[in-house]
Amino acid sequence: MTTVNLVGYAEHPVLGESAYRVDRDGVSYVPAGDGGIVLGLELGDSVFKLAADHAAPGACLVHPDAAARHALTAFACIGNRAVIRTGAASGAVGCVLGKRGEEGRVIVGFRAADLAVMRPSDEVAVQARGQGWRPAGLPDAVTVMNTDPVLFAALPIEIAADGRRVAATVRAVLPGKLAGNGIGRPAASWDLDLQLTEEASVTGSRPQEPPEVLLGDLIAVTDIDARYNMGYRRDWATVGIVVHGGSPLPGHGPGITPILTGPAAALQVRAQGASHVGLTAAMVQLQ
Amino acid sequence: MNLTTNQARLPRQVLAGEVWPALADRHVYRVDPDGRPFVLPGMGAITLGVHCGDHATGHAADHLEPGASVRHRDSAANYALQYLTCVGNDVVVASGPAASARGHVIGQHAYVLVDLPEAALQVMAPGDQVTVMATGQGLTLADHPAIVVKNCDPRLLDQMPGGTTSDGRLEVHVAARVPAEAIGAGAGMISEYANTDLMGAYQGLGDDLSLGLEGLRIGDVVCLEDSDHRYGRGYRPGFLTIGVISTGQCMLFGHGPGPSTLMSGPAEAFAVVLDDAANLVSWLHPWPEESADDHG
Repeated sequence: MTTVNLVGYAEHPVLGESAYRVDRDGVSYVPAGDGGIVLGLELGDSVFKLAADHAAPGACLVHPDAAARHALTAFACIGNRAVIRTGAASGAVGCVLGKRGEEGRVIVGFRAADLAVMRPSDEVAVQARGQGWRPAGLPDAVTVMNTDPVLFAALPIEIAADGRRVAATVRAVLPGKLAGNGIGRPAASWDLDLQLTEEASVTGSRPQEPPEVLLGDLIAVTDIDARYNMGYRRDWATVGIVVHGGSPLPGHGPGITPILTGPAAALQVRAQGASHVGLTAAMVQLQ
Repeated sequence: MNLTTNQARLPRQVLAGEVWPALADRHVYRVDPDGRPFVLPGMGAITLGVHCGDHATGHAADHLEPGASVRHRDSAANYALQYLTCVGNDVVVASGPAASARGHVIGQHAYVLVDLPEAALQVMAPGDQVTVMATGQGLTLADHPAIVVKNCDPRLLDQMPGGTTSDGRLEVHVAARVPAEAIGAGAGMISEYANTDLMGAYQGLGDDLSLGLEGLRIGDVVCLEDSDHRYGRGYRPGFLTIGVISTGQCMLFGHGPGPSTLMSGPAEAFAVVLDDAANLVSWLHPWPEESADDHG
């Protein structure tokens, strides 16, 4: 496994000439919280805590060079250590909590007091490692990605001693048809949005949707193969960590960064419901 | 369809575009569903030999775009061209050896896709200018207020079979129904731009990749189940979207033949009829000049 020190810069949110986007019911809205530094959102919070669009728990890192930005996104893994190098929070240590697609963003969590004094353009070093790593005993058919090895050991994932199976306990197992933006895109650098709505989470109007999904939860999606691009493959499963909150946009919603993908026979997923504990602030020393 | 519409109030705007080159990068390869690298043509430029009514899949191609792939050089003008152009709009070649040849728009795929007679396509090349007679955005159906129509030339709607049923629904003929599991790249994008790739239509690959969509043809009108394309493209149980297959074979995973959106609304607003003839070839052909010859 290779470790590389990368640098990213806290993002300033960007909008086009129009302030508005159009939500799934045809109503215009101003997309607050989409990228940049978002305060008041942490691991363990509901994906619908804020009235926001794709809000992530911490600071999104980008790079002014498009190719460097793609590399930052592709190589950073959940659990990687991040250190602020400039600005009022200089020296503060954080942790990569996820990634987002399109042009690429790395989501880094910091303690609330550090995050509160950050500003866009602050420079953050990311010690990237994890891509290409395979834990011992992982079944050949299963692929692990986007995960720091130290963090992987702390997640609710058990590799069977005989090397034939790996089992993940998750908040919920969702059907692949709920996967939206991210299908057809590379799982190493693009999250997979789940088309969950706040309305359904409150009313229970869609039986296949779980009542509550929290940032940091593990979620399994059936019939999705994420080894290369993400797409439909019968009898497969993909497990990801919830990295950002909901979105009013049709085809979008809370996003997962994939960490495991494989045939359902080798990658076994178990829905734990309300008692599930996924990635926590304590696990990555952010408390 | 004999429907009451606002067709008489729709503007017709003259737009310009040019046949855009096929594009690649220095890494050359893309990756198929099984992780194998491939180099295949299909997107951009002039793609010969595939027209409405022909098989969408089975070609050695990636993101196959039948006929001419058209853009505008200026970014903002290009968005206008892509958003305002509708399926069925007339196109006239404005430069090059095929100048004055006539065709029509079959869809959008971040390019406006223009089907033309094969004889014209044979002599066309990237850089050739085309003129698009854009009309259709803003089309509404007075008797079907729950249905949003987009990207649809009113003349195409006139020629499609169906119409208002005795119980007030809109009868639409489709060649195939598409399950929500097939929706690939394109989910989450706006529905006036590009199209929605359908997975489960890879020919020659594993059965575990199939959703039974290998028989789709270019120009087929299809019905996307549990899809709401009124304000973008997303999953919504109980909604239907009607589209026309405008692109063909893909080997890139999570991609596939794609419908451009024509209309969308609650399922109960539609009466969907399966009909093998529900293809643009049934209504937009013969080509205008072929038709003229027939009468000449």
